[in-house]
Amino acid sequence: MNTDDLIASLSRDVPPVRRGAVGRRILAGMAVGGVLSIALVVAWMGVRPDLGKAMHGFPFWMKWTYTLSLSIGALVMAAQLARPDTGRLRGLWLIAIPVLLLASVGAMELIRTPPGEWLKMWLSYSWMQCPWRVLALAMPIFVGLLWSFRRLAPTRLRAAGATAGLAAGAFAATVYCLHCPEVSAIFVLTWYSLGILLATGIGALLGPRLMRW
Amino acid sequence: MRASEAELRGLMIGGLDGNAADHAALLRLLVPLLRGFYRRRSGGAEDDIEDLVQETLIAVHTRRATYDRDRAFTAWLFAIARYKMIDHFRRSRRHQPIEGLEDILVAEGFEDASSARMDVDDLLGALPAKQARLIRATRIDGLSVAEAAEADGLGESDVKVSVHRGLKTLMARIQGGRR
Repeated sequence: MNTDDLIASLSRDVPPVRRGAVGRRILAGMAVGGVLSIALVVAWMGVRPDLGKAMHGFPFWMKWTYTLSLSIGALVMAAQLARPDTGRLRGLWLIAIPVLLLASVGAMELIRTPPGEWLKMWLSYSWMQCPWRVLALAMPIFVGLLWSFRRLAPTRLRAAGATAGLAAGAFAATVYCLHCPEVSAIFVLTWYSLGILLATGIGALLGPRLMRW
Repeated sequence: MRASEAELRGLMIGGLDGNAADHAALLRLLVPLLRGFYRRRSGGAEDDIEDLVQETLIAVHTRRATYDRDRAFTAWLFAIARYKMIDHFRRSRRHQPIEGLEDILVAEGFEDASSARMDVDDLLGALPAKQARLIRATRIDGLSVAEAAEADGLGESDVKVSVHRGLKTLMARIQGGRR
């Protein structure tokens, strides 16, 4: 095709673009994936029956604060990586804050608990399912974010894939809190984080393949 | 004349606000800019450069939402152009074996190829004409024994024997020369 013809045909369709379009596009993909993920919890695992009561307690909010702040941090990274001309990532270290906070809650928990019960507290009863369920719930969100990135312009595909995976995994963990009755900080720090890390790793693997443009 | 950053950025923002004429003017101004960018970097075929320019124009159009109005336009543009160039090379190289590429390039070097041919000419020149001719026909030009026999008006077994004797002589000479 002739370059002049190409320009003519491209210029036929010039819809206005509002400021903040990148952020909105990422949030839209995240929201669609998140709704699917919530539907999956409701249909497949079931919402914990004591959710209303749990929402008045500390462990539930500890879990939500941890997972939500991680996913917000990852989204901030994703929004930066969605632009081609982003140099150094700003605020990457912020992601460490929720991890450190949860680790200190976990340390206090260990101090208060007799060492004989540590293992039981750490593994509880759902450590085998937890990471896999978080990973499964992350998939629709990851697909939603891939859809977001289709119209964006990431140039560091592995990093963009990893942050999309991290955002998907962390938000999937938030959604999983609707089902999971675990209360221990070291449980969440280990098994939730493992699921989130798996999602991040898969994102880093798939990014260069699926985010090319 | 090259368009300035301020001019390009003004047109880009006009396009983002929905002004199609600004957008068209921007894309037209980008063409010489991108051609220069790719020509300096690739040294490749003119077709490749034009493909890259068009791909980049399409990307600038479809991904214009990723331009941040508060940042430099040309930095954004060349980030896209650089990405498209890397992607283009990655794709076109996928069909070539990467391992041993160095060897292939060296072996395909003109100098080496021509000096190898001179070596062969030297060696064959030392053989009886008939043997040299038949080795060249069957081993270098790639004819079958039957074809070479027919071309020379000889029997097939005669061709085979001549080639065999000639190669044996050459082998002896090369091994002798190495010692």
